[in-house]
Amino acid sequence: MTLEVLSGNRAQSEAVRLARVQVVAAYPITPQTTIVEAIADHVAQGRLAAEFVRVESEHSALQVCVSAAALGARTYTATSSQGLLLMHELLHWASGARAPVVMGVVNRAVAPPWSAGADHTDSLAQRDTGWIQFYAETNQEVLDTVLEAYRLSEDRAVRLPAMVCEDAFYLSHTVEPVEVPTAEAVDAFLPARVGRGILVPGVPSRLGSFTGPEDYVRFRREEAAAMARVVPTLRVVEEEFCRSFGRTLGGPVVPYRLEGATTALVTIGTASTTARGVVDELRRQGRAIGLLKIRLLRPFPEAEVRAALEGVDRIGVLDRAWTFGPTGAVAAEVRGALYGAPRRPLVTSFLAGIGGRDVTPGLVRRAVERLDVGSADDGPVWMDLEPLPEEVVRG
Amino acid sequence: MMEIRFWGRGGQGAVLAAELLAQAAFLDGKVPQSFPFFGVERRGAPVTAYARVSDRPIEVRTSIATPDVVVVLEHGLLATMPTTDGLREGGTVLVNARADDPGLVAPPSARLATVDADRIALELGLGTAATPIVNTAVLGALVRVTGVVSPIALDRAIERVVPARPSENLAACHAGYAGVLVRTTEVPVPTPRPSPRAPPLPEGPLATIPSDVLRTASWRTRRPEIRLERCTRCNFCWKFCPDTAIALDALGFPQLIAEHCKGCGICAAVCPPKTIAMVAEGSEGP
Amino acid sequence: MAKLTLPPEEWVRSGHSACPGCAPALALRFLLKGLGPRTIVSIPACCWTVIATPYPTTALGVAMLDTPIESTGASISGLRAAADALGLSDLNVVGVAGDGGTADIGLQSLSGMLERRTNAIYLMYDNEAYMNTGVQRSGATPWHAWTTTTPVGPRARGKAEPKKDIMGIVLAHRPVYAATVNPSFPEDFLAKVEKARDLVGPRFFQAITPCPPGWRYDSSETVEVGSLATETGLFPLYEVEEGRLRITRRYGRLKPVREYLQKQGRFGHLTDPEIDAIQSRVTARWEELLRSERTSAEGRAQPPATDQAPTAAR
Repeated sequence: MTLEVLSGNRAQSEAVRLARVQVVAAYPITPQTTIVEAIADHVAQGRLAAEFVRVESEHSALQVCVSAAALGARTYTATSSQGLLLMHELLHWASGARAPVVMGVVNRAVAPPWSAGADHTDSLAQRDTGWIQFYAETNQEVLDTVLEAYRLSEDRAVRLPAMVCEDAFYLSHTVEPVEVPTAEAVDAFLPARVGRGILVPGVPSRLGSFTGPEDYVRFRREEAAAMARVVPTLRVVEEEFCRSFGRTLGGPVVPYRLEGATTALVTIGTASTTARGVVDELRRQGRAIGLLKIRLLRPFPEAEVRAALEGVDRIGVLDRAWTFGPTGAVAAEVRGALYGAPRRPLVTSFLAGIGGRDVTPGLVRRAVERLDVGSADDGPVWMDLEPLPEEVVRG
Repeated sequence: MMEIRFWGRGGQGAVLAAELLAQAAFLDGKVPQSFPFFGVERRGAPVTAYARVSDRPIEVRTSIATPDVVVVLEHGLLATMPTTDGLREGGTVLVNARADDPGLVAPPSARLATVDADRIALELGLGTAATPIVNTAVLGALVRVTGVVSPIALDRAIERVVPARPSENLAACHAGYAGVLVRTTEVPVPTPRPSPRAPPLPEGPLATIPSDVLRTASWRTRRPEIRLERCTRCNFCWKFCPDTAIALDALGFPQLIAEHCKGCGICAAVCPPKTIAMVAEGSEGP
Repeated sequence: MAKLTLPPEEWVRSGHSACPGCAPALALRFLLKGLGPRTIVSIPACCWTVIATPYPTTALGVAMLDTPIESTGASISGLRAAADALGLSDLNVVGVAGDGGTADIGLQSLSGMLERRTNAIYLMYDNEAYMNTGVQRSGATPWHAWTTTTPVGPRARGKAEPKKDIMGIVLAHRPVYAATVNPSFPEDFLAKVEKARDLVGPRFFQAITPCPPGWRYDSSETVEVGSLATETGLFPLYEVEEGRLRITRRYGRLKPVREYLQKQGRFGHLTDPEIDAIQSRVTARWEELLRSERTSAEGRAQPPATDQAPTAAR
């Protein structure tokens, strides 16, 4: 194990090298490009024995991965924003064909208007495609979660594809220290995927058949059952991860200072770091506040969310995307999870960091203040519309 | 409300028959609903369509599991498909067949009606010998035996909706109306099919059973008769069969795999000495 | 008895769901006779999605992967990459798609696969319209043909535009091998498949595949209609190997296109001047093909590309 200063994109590409991925297919899009450039270099320098298929679109990139995975290869692709939207059709093919593809997603705003800023609209729009979705907070999490995702996706109990999402620029191009495990340690944790394809050459069989309604619904139910096995399988994988690398991954949700809290913030991605700092500050001032970071958004860890937020009266959910529902997408999930709780808390939806706006400590503090005056029928609160004193004006 | 289930083959007009009935019911001031079952539609493959006719708004949108009337546009389907499953007590089965067709079966309490719509259609030049278009003749018969819509409304619907040859189709409808026979004698009861238990699923949607368990012979309206005495064993029939339904024996003579032949007629067309003839299914041959 | 001119093994099973007289069923039957069991076939949405029969049955005696309509080229690149990564070097990787899935919506991924020099065989079965959805016009529908989206009426004469030249598009990518094939000529078909099987790199077939319900003729006439497509010069049979074009069915005198057109209901509305116009185009294209064959024999038709090794395959 070595400690290296790496960007989130570099962490993705190091994880791909360590996972001994066999087939990589990708199409360039800002800010994903440095992931695939680094992988191309790994292949060119002989550090990774993979077939790198330079495709003519993201749609084809994912098709290459789905087809290669059907034959039993370990596959990887990465994309962002418009590229992920173009993949949408193939996302369903990957999960429906039970192809354990792992994909790096650099969360970026979708056009129009054009923006390269961080925003979760791209991957939130894919949350109903049968993919496991992880959202990373640090570059260490990026690297670790890619390795974890292969174990989880390829597990016989699961066999579903997984996305490892990282915020554009706040992770993709941010460098920070990352523990990079040795190849031997990773090989022990993640053995090669050999001879486990659904399609076997020479065996007459057809993957993706035409079905009648009676069979179609049964296959959907099977996929749902596999999705339901993700959280229990993830626990086993994370225990092993901890034994192999001496680090914990945190499970589907990561509670922080929620003991005795009456107020809680809920976050995904990099906003978690800043929110944690604000929680510490407010705790010092005597406020009973905590934070729940959601790492796993699909399947939504409903029971874990409910257990972590038990006893909390007021909850503020920060969403880095506007998805045109009654609240932000994550807020809607949290509200849904708490609807059956014995004491139903007040959940307020905050939109914060859209299109790459900074989620500053000041913004988070204002959100907490706003929580105190919130009511049950609050619509989403747009936090990004006022200039922030501590925000650096860019461009 | 009367619920009617149509069975036919791709190309025979079963879907249009259900729609025509709906148009006619509308002209009668009733509330109609009709729709096809959207499965694998192939020329010659079995298709189903549904029609409901009611005096009040119809508050259901499903396929018809317990029909009052079953209409079978091709008599071979009566025995090979679950045509009469769920037929209500005392319901009607209307079959495009001659009254003396030996293949007629019906549930014990059913009324069985027959109309020789093939003959009517061919006499009026509707469709071809291989695929006569029988829907309007059968609808005429249906109106006569069920009264589901008025004859005049059916005439108007045919004039409005039928895409080609309206006068021949009207004539076919009237001939069907006049020519339908309701069977009073006992008919054999179909043996109930065991309902198949769903086998366990593979990990993904992976199909592994060879398709030759499927019997496509029921698609056929004509079949090849091979007269081996003039066969030169050129194997053209084997070579060009799209259904792999001709095998060659040890001496090189062709043998029809009848359960898979769809009756396309390619083997007869490509046979150099013309030793293969296409004959109507059910006939004794030339 | 006559010797068998085709391998006796069958890899397309009976019981499939093709319409009676289906030429795409014949095309895959001949293709797989030439390739054998060490083959994996990727098939997008097209007639063959249905022909291969619903779950849990399959009509192919080899492995088959379904994909969406536009991604056959990418799929076979992925299968080949996996085969290479997993050491399955003896595997024939094959894409089979319809004309719409190839020449229209799948053109991008076909181009990508050819440009990437994917070591795979791609067969487009050309029934000249979107037949699986019920006879709608595709880019490969011929001039003046009736389809449900190019109807005939006082203001329309079937498809207003000529057929897309898919072979021209493919040949511009300089594949290691490309050929036209016709199920009405099985021996020619098989010889080309067997030749392509043993080459390395992208290989492409355009198969003309008559469709009784879509072209509106009786199902018994599939072989005859197909033969006339070639005998009239509308669908000449040729192959291009390393830039060398060779006509494989040569005719001193072509039959008039009228014989082909009048067999099919989709051309039933054509007037004599329209038939004459089609005839002159066909004659001109046939002469152009003869010229291409002569010039390619002299090595002038396809100058060698300077920036790539034509046989380099990935």
